[in-house]
Amino acid sequence: MLSRLVLLSASSLKGSGPIGAGVVQATRCLRTSSQSLAPVPPLPEEGGKVRHGIFPEEFFQLLYPKTGVTGPYMLGTGLLCYLLSKEIYIVNHETIYALTIGGIIVYCVKKFGPGFAEFADKIYEEQLAKAEAAKESSISILAKSIEAEKKEQWRVEGRGLLFDAKRNNVAMLLETNMRERLHMVTNEVKRRLDYQIALQNLHRRMQQEHMINWVEKSVVSSITPQQEKESIAKCIADLKALAKTSQAQAAA
Amino acid sequence: MTMTLFDQFLSPTLFKMPLIAIALVSPWLLHHVVTTRFSSERLLSVKKVSVSALTKHIFQPLGPLGHKWALMFVSLFMFLITLNVLGLLPYTFTPTTQLSLTFSLALPLWLATVLIGFRLDPTRALAHMLPQGTPPLLIPVLIIIETISVMIRPLALAVRLMANLTAGHLLIHLISTGVFLLTSMMPMTAILALALLGLLTLLEIAVAVIQAYVFVLLLSLYLLENV
Repeated sequence: MLSRLVLLSASSLKGSGPIGAGVVQATRCLRTSSQSLAPVPPLPEEGGKVRHGIFPEEFFQLLYPKTGVTGPYMLGTGLLCYLLSKEIYIVNHETIYALTIGGIIVYCVKKFGPGFAEFADKIYEEQLAKAEAAKESSISILAKSIEAEKKEQWRVEGRGLLFDAKRNNVAMLLETNMRERLHMVTNEVKRRLDYQIALQNLHRRMQQEHMINWVEKSVVSSITPQQEKESIAKCIADLKALAKTSQAQAAA
Repeated sequence: MTMTLFDQFLSPTLFKMPLIAIALVSPWLLHHVVTTRFSSERLLSVKKVSVSALTKHIFQPLGPLGHKWALMFVSLFMFLITLNVLGLLPYTFTPTTQLSLTFSLALPLWLATVLIGFRLDPTRALAHMLPQGTPPLLIPVLIIIETISVMIRPLALAVRLMANLTAGHLLIHLISTGVFLLTSMMPMTAILALALLGLLTLLEIAVAVIQAYVFVLLLSLYLLENV
């Protein structure tokens, strides 16, 4: 949080005359973060390592080469004893209160810390999951539309076949229609011709009948009674002869 | 110099220069700057969620006219809760124990709600002076009482916050002084008093949060009446 103050003041210091430039150069070694904002620097996954909840691990590493493992602890104890013995810090009622509230804070952090961290992580997970879901849904929608497009393209290929079939259908219908009409025309013409033939036949028959009737009439009218008698006598004689022959055949 | 019990409430000065401005502004350094990053740290994401929950809770009953006050109320809440909770740490100064601060917050905001009410719908604003269904005999008395109750609201708001915090801090100091002095004389009583101090501290944490919330809630209720 104080680094924000540093960054803000640094940007105003840079422009403020010779001292500003000198300070900027002199403090170059103290700057740890990257000094540009693009691309956005990633957030660290874990927080800074601390020992006993407050003291950063880097402090212990700083003192390790010279004073070993117990160095910082000796420093702390010595500092406390110095403050107490020189009465820079006086033990009074506030100390009791400081111990009480310190204990309460430590207890709360130890007890509710993991739960709180889980809650915060869950919020982040939900945010991420929402973004992922949006991404997945848009990907699936796009994939579906690609599928649909491919299907449409396949359908378009079949369109030619469809048109051919339709064309054949129409041609067949036309053909059928034409054949029907030809058939009808032939039938009509045949009917007309049949009528004429029937008419001619009728004429001929009537002529024939008329002629026959005339011939019969003239023949019948030409038969005299004399001829009739002669023909009857002839017939009787023929019959007698026939009867004789048949009798002879029957006896043989 | 001997410290009295009330020296904790003196406005801090350094060589006669008032430090109250630093006391009011420096707690803001502890709040995260809201970034445009997609994901944020744990504290900031929890803060985002809790602030949005608080905003929804306070502003749901208010109409669109009341939503203009959202930034005001939420920042007021964050201000008060930060000052209150930081004041619970030892050797810190709580600015909200000064009536000057609380009254200067309460009076203009309350007055704004009343003036908005009178500006938007004076008949309805005046009608608040007389609750529905009062018997006719009581009308004159009730109007006077309601007017007084409206007029006393800023003072009530300010003094409620100030008195709660001052009383809490005083009690803490008293009991911790008691513990401090009893450890040499009567250790068992000191332990009992220490337990009491522990419980009191828990109560004070709760009071610090609740008083900030109540301040903002009451202001939103006054706004609801008038908007």
